[in-house]
Amino acid sequence: MVCHFFAEIVRSLSPGICFVLGLGVVSATIVALLPVAPHDGLQIWVGDGNHAMLYRALAPEWNRRHPDLPLRVSLIVGPALQSRMLSGFYSGTPVADLIEVERGQIGQVFAGPLEDIGFADLSDRLAQEGLLAKINTSSFSPWTSRGHIFGLPHDVHPVMLIYRADLVEAAGIDVGQIETWADYFRLMRPLLKDLDGDGYIDRYPLTVSLTNPFFSEIFLLQGGGGYFDPAGHPTLNSATNVRILAQLGGWYAGPDRMIGDVNMYTGSGLRQLGEGYAIALPGADWYLGSLSVSLPKMAGKFKIMPLPAWAKGGRRTSVNGGTMLGITKASKHPEAAWELAKYLYFSPVMARRLFELTHIVSPMKTNWSQTYYDQPDPYYSGQPVGRMCLQQAPDVPTRPASPYFSSAIQLVNSALNQLMQVADRSATSDPAKLEPDARRLLDQAQRDLVAQMNRNVFLAGAKP
Amino acid sequence: MKSCRPHSPWTPWLFLAPFLALFSAFIAWPLLRSLILAFEQTFGPRTVTYVGLLNFRFMLHDPMFWVAVRNTALFAFGTLVIQVPAALALALLLNRPALRGRALFRLVFFSPTIVGTVFVGVIFSVLLERRTGLVNTLLHGLIRSWNPDFAWVDGFVMPSLILASLWLSVGFNMAYLLAALQNVPSDQLDAASIDGANAWQRFWHVTFPAIQPVLNILVLLTLVGSFQLFDLPFILYADSFGNGPNNAALSIVTYLYQTGFRSGDLGYASAIGWVLTLVLVAAALLHRRLSRHEEAGS
Repeated sequence: MVCHFFAEIVRSLSPGICFVLGLGVVSATIVALLPVAPHDGLQIWVGDGNHAMLYRALAPEWNRRHPDLPLRVSLIVGPALQSRMLSGFYSGTPVADLIEVERGQIGQVFAGPLEDIGFADLSDRLAQEGLLAKINTSSFSPWTSRGHIFGLPHDVHPVMLIYRADLVEAAGIDVGQIETWADYFRLMRPLLKDLDGDGYIDRYPLTVSLTNPFFSEIFLLQGGGGYFDPAGHPTLNSATNVRILAQLGGWYAGPDRMIGDVNMYTGSGLRQLGEGYAIALPGADWYLGSLSVSLPKMAGKFKIMPLPAWAKGGRRTSVNGGTMLGITKASKHPEAAWELAKYLYFSPVMARRLFELTHIVSPMKTNWSQTYYDQPDPYYSGQPVGRMCLQQAPDVPTRPASPYFSSAIQLVNSALNQLMQVADRSATSDPAKLEPDARRLLDQAQRDLVAQMNRNVFLAGAKP
Repeated sequence: MKSCRPHSPWTPWLFLAPFLALFSAFIAWPLLRSLILAFEQTFGPRTVTYVGLLNFRFMLHDPMFWVAVRNTALFAFGTLVIQVPAALALALLLNRPALRGRALFRLVFFSPTIVGTVFVGVIFSVLLERRTGLVNTLLHGLIRSWNPDFAWVDGFVMPSLILASLWLSVGFNMAYLLAALQNVPSDQLDAASIDGANAWQRFWHVTFPAIQPVLNILVLLTLVGSFQLFDLPFILYADSFGNGPNNAALSIVTYLYQTGFRSGDLGYASAIGWVLTLVLVAAALLHRRLSRHEEAGS
């Protein structure tokens, strides 16, 4: 009956259609029979070209020691890595044994129930091997959800102040006198200049990218503020945040504006930095490396110093960026993955290679005594930038993780933008006058964030 | 010619089968699934909770959603009011036989459409950059009092978006209208001239009614396209993930993307998507009714 049906259909088709159908069947068969690349070995996905280069260089050595588990490093850029990782976690599509994740990508991983998080919980391993005490404590915070650690921290990322030593020294300013931001702006004020006499400021004492919300975060965290408490509760409208936002509003806008607006990740921003648009900018250790590669002609003109504190005796650093390495629950070789992860992130050899290539300092405290961190860096006028970053590393603030981190930084940055409009409209840069508006705007931001968080039925048990 | 072989009643279905399979797999099922998703909260397909109308109720009180609606509506209005008349003006200009180099001008005005939104976004961000951008550098060179830090993109978010969109799409709309203009019966225009009609009267009473069906389609396409605003702000305001200063560039689709793919709230993103769909369908139906009425009247 069925044969008769198909025979009848084939008879009713024209030769052309029969040919196309046949071609389809043949090509589908060929594709199905093509050999598929083997997926054996230990696979790691990374999103950064420098990291991929470092890990690939390690592959021959690893493969010699583990001939049954060859190392396969795949470089997958940001959004693609996030999509593939989440698809794997959500739907069980293949994922690597180890995945390197940046801070901006981790929130979504933590949005669901604890048992559905696609990374293995490393808390017990870290405790059993005594690594919790050996690694810079604050470096764990972005990778911790509901008390469980899901990744090895790659870095510390202390933020330093990068300044134009040539201009500052030519003006006879002694940066040794600077302890607080108030000191900084008081001493640097003479450098706030209209250089060509057209009535517009051409040089600011400090610059950040005003639309990039991660710069507000640098100041908030340094001053003891932030977005979430360790339990994950939002703290956007804390008294500290209100105070800092009011001060930032006055520095960013109004008649006494002190901070310029340059996106230092773009060619145009770098050009302006080179032309002296700003005296200084905050930058983490990774940015120190990036700047020296992006703006080589400025070698010897920059120096770094600890960030000025918000108050005397206060914290002289902050934190910016961050990466972790997690072992996926789907990995068939969790022990080998753990061994590899520790080697990549904590071994003195890899720590040295990482620092030399990127200026990033290791989160492993036992590596901090290594002498390569003391090498003078000709780009930064011969300063030992590694040592200077490490001196600030213990003070790097913690950053409790939350699936709502992206929303939180957007809401606070939006509040800051509105506060700048208030400062311009009311022609004031006085933080005391801006504080009531800062409080009002942050109260609204907090309400909006709480409303978003309250919708999440999966985190309901973990919230207040 | 009548077939000499009898056909099975299944034969038509066999021919329809590829379309039906693809349509069901890639259009019908995803649509249905996204509708179901709008009533759920998920963490991947394996962890799903039915939340009823919670997503829609939240939307009513979500300030960011309403900011996105306001921005998108402003953009759509600005685009409609500027882009369609500008395209018509260009088409009328380039339809004049006396104009020399018409083909070159047509290509020039149409070329931004070919290069695409990302290119236009990048070009605009470079052109309008503070201090180092071509526009500010030029203006400051010409007018000493011009602020070299003038924030075109950050200070004038909606005008920047509308201008970039105009540059991108005006040539595309112009091409449609040019085709329509070339189909206006010349004998009617000649007759109007003989009857003493001036240029405006010829345009209003002869040309405009003839191109009105194309204009109606363009208005609808521009409206739908404007409500789908996503890539331009994403490129121009990459620093803030497409939100722009003070969320002034946040569009409905950008918010949908951020909700679904940055926050992972696919249920809420689906709800936003369905509301957007319903708004667009309602706008299209209203537009269709109005244009039918106008065409019947003319």
